[in-house]
Amino acid sequence: MNSLSDGPQAEAITVVLLEDDAPTLWRLQDALTKAGYQVRAAGTLAEARACLAQGAPKVLLTDLQLPDGHGVDLIRETRQRFPDTEIMVISILGDEESVISAITVGATGYLLKDAFPTDIAATVRDLVAGHSPISASIARFIVRRTQNTPEAPPGPALNTAKLTPREIDILWGIAKGFSYAEIASHLSLSRQTVPGHIKNIYRKLEVHTRGEAVFEAVQQGLIKL
Amino acid sequence: MNDTDEDATAERQPARDRRRLWTSRLVQYLLLQVAIAGVCVLALRQSLPGPPDQYQVTAFKLTEAGIEHAVTLPYFSPLRHAMNDPPRFSGHFVHPAGEAGRAWSVFLPRFTNGVEVSVNGVVILDSRRDPAANRPDRNTPQIAVIPASVLHDGANDVSIRLFIWGPISGFLDRIWIGPDELLRPSFNLRTLIFVTLPVVFSSWQAILAVILGIMWVMRRHEPAYGVLAAAMAVGVGQAFLQTPIGETPFSRLNVVLISSAPIESALVLTFALLFSGWRWRHYGWVIFIPGVLLALAGLFGDQTTVRALFLFLAVPTVGISLAVMAIVTARSVLQRQNVAGLLLGCAVTIMLTCWIVDLLSVFGVMPNRIFTSRLSYSAMLVAIGAGLTWRFARALNEVDGFAGHLVTQVRDAEAKLKASFAREEERARAAALARERTRLMRDLHDGLGGQLVSIVALSERGNGSAGIGDAARAALKDLRLVIDSMDDIGGDLMLALGSWRERAMAQLRPHDIALDWRAVTAQGLPVHPELRPWHVIQIVRLLDEAVTNAVKHADAKRITVRIETLTGADGVERGRITVEDDGRGFEITPDGAAAGAIKAARGLRNMRSRAARCGAELELSSCAQGTHHGDHQGTRVRLTLPQRFPDSDGAAG
Repeated sequence: MNSLSDGPQAEAITVVLLEDDAPTLWRLQDALTKAGYQVRAAGTLAEARACLAQGAPKVLLTDLQLPDGHGVDLIRETRQRFPDTEIMVISILGDEESVISAITVGATGYLLKDAFPTDIAATVRDLVAGHSPISASIARFIVRRTQNTPEAPPGPALNTAKLTPREIDILWGIAKGFSYAEIASHLSLSRQTVPGHIKNIYRKLEVHTRGEAVFEAVQQGLIKL
Repeated sequence: MNDTDEDATAERQPARDRRRLWTSRLVQYLLLQVAIAGVCVLALRQSLPGPPDQYQVTAFKLTEAGIEHAVTLPYFSPLRHAMNDPPRFSGHFVHPAGEAGRAWSVFLPRFTNGVEVSVNGVVILDSRRDPAANRPDRNTPQIAVIPASVLHDGANDVSIRLFIWGPISGFLDRIWIGPDELLRPSFNLRTLIFVTLPVVFSSWQAILAVILGIMWVMRRHEPAYGVLAAAMAVGVGQAFLQTPIGETPFSRLNVVLISSAPIESALVLTFALLFSGWRWRHYGWVIFIPGVLLALAGLFGDQTTVRALFLFLAVPTVGISLAVMAIVTARSVLQRQNVAGLLLGCAVTIMLTCWIVDLLSVFGVMPNRIFTSRLSYSAMLVAIGAGLTWRFARALNEVDGFAGHLVTQVRDAEAKLKASFAREEERARAAALARERTRLMRDLHDGLGGQLVSIVALSERGNGSAGIGDAARAALKDLRLVIDSMDDIGGDLMLALGSWRERAMAQLRPHDIALDWRAVTAQGLPVHPELRPWHVIQIVRLLDEAVTNAVKHADAKRITVRIETLTGADGVERGRITVEDDGRGFEITPDGAAAGAIKAARGLRNMRSRAARCGAELELSSCAQGTHHGDHQGTRVRLTLPQRFPDSDGAAG
């Protein structure tokens, strides 16, 4: 709760924030600035690209539907240019439709637009610390995609073939609301290794190959409204 | 060493057992056949009852081939052919006076081949005009009433001419001359046994021929039936085609009659072979050669040679056929243990016995000359009919069984189809729901959601409008709940509770209330395939209500959510969710409503109605601060899930 205690460290942390709704942009920027992050705010894709041109940020927070394009493009570009940048989606509902498509191009998790300022700062802090957050509904979406069904369920496409049984077990635990500690004890893991597993899961869901890119382009067509 | 010995013994053991079983079956079968043959012989030795002995006339003067000598009937003539100069028997009988009112008859129970009887020089009977009587294989009796004008009191002359035309030698049994009323019953009995009964059996044979013929037409792959039908047809022809003796325009028909016995026996043998699983070979035609030879002789030779040939071709053919059949049917019975085969085997034994007895009587070994081969053939006909019926009944049973099996299979397939249809429907429903959810999500994203977020943001900028922000946040939370509950969770309520936990934690964090989440049983809650989005939304809202009450009214520091599966005495699993706070608590009036704030009371009422709609049991207990009884302080909401969620809204009305 007391994110200001991270002050000296946070000073060095740069966050690029892209959100087209002005009031929301202000409140997010406010919450992050108060937490000691150096925030570069942008309202459009073009502005965000200009911000990124100044150098690699530690964190990129981006909305998906923007006046001059889709946030997914920016995430992909950033992921390719700055592999060390942690990327997170800003979502209204935290629904899998937008979040999963962002995950497949390199985002790790999402931030709710109406989250309390302290939660916003805490989430970014965890992200920087290497803890990729994952919500129960996203975990649920992923594990349900690992189950074989005759026809593809609606929603964004997702290739879960690379996930190991253990990773799927972890996702099940998260989907059912268990804490990392509970999951770790159920699966005989060390509690500290669970975040690492989650990061791996995100990486495995990312689309890398050309074929996968085509696949993902189709999926993006689904998103375009 | 020991091992191999044991192995060998083990291998030999079943073979020995099989051999023992075979032997015991063979012995049983043979004993049965011997018993049947014994009964046959005993039955054949019984002589038929005759009229009173006082009317029997046995002393005759015989003129045979110009030589005259006295004989006593029955008489076996050495002649095989005597048509122009037949043996002539002359005798006397006494007709007492005062018998004028009673008709007198001459009764000849048995003779071969034909007789002409004259009393006092007047011919009263010529058996040659009766085709049935001309058949030496039938034991046709003859009776003739002596016209009153011919008969006179005292001694009367009787003269009998015995016509012999082969193939066997002549024979004349004892004769009776007496009152017709005393002779007639014996004659009638013989007629019944030796004339009527064969006709009945021949009719039966005709029916069999038709049945088997139809069977063969419908089942061409079973030639055994066709062969048997042919045999029956030949038999029927033999029985009903009767020609008078002598060279008549129908004499060609005699060929059929003569060659019928060997052909029929060859056909029946072929049937027995095919029936026992033998495959037809070309050399099988061999068994038809005697019959064909006889037929050719009948067509091109004269009748005398044919009749002579009959004894050397037909009789042995019948005998050999019967012997082969006996062996074949025995083997078939031992191997396949079927009732039809057993019946056939018994019939063959009866026929074989009769054939042997007949042969003995042909050679004069037996004291009489009653041929029973033809009659014993009826045993075969009965066996065929019974076997056929048995097979038919068994086939019907098999069809019934098969039909029953089919019905079960069809029912199973139908059930499977129904299940898969239900699954398909379920999948289609889930897909439709997911599509609808996606559409709703996009709509909310574009409109309401964004606007609510803006309200939250704006309310935070201007002071004093925190209430608006809270309301907008609550609206967003509810939106997320609606979207979330529409997701297909496959009946696992835990998946919905996982998201709820996140939302509840986000809600509690600003109030510094800890959420203690305890899944008491490892699996959490049982899976309910019938769980629908509206059940989920009711349960989650109910839990929300419990948490909100704790936040707003109870001033709690810690909320504990306990999730467990209870297994009842009947093995039924029910889920239970308990939300407990350590807050102030409140008094609950006897009717279950909260005594305190009106808002809280409304909240409780809502919770009750939500629980009722899902068929869940809600248990509320609260204890106000200061009144410590029991081990818990604060409010406890205990929701016990139904064993099965209701299909329709239980509290809709």
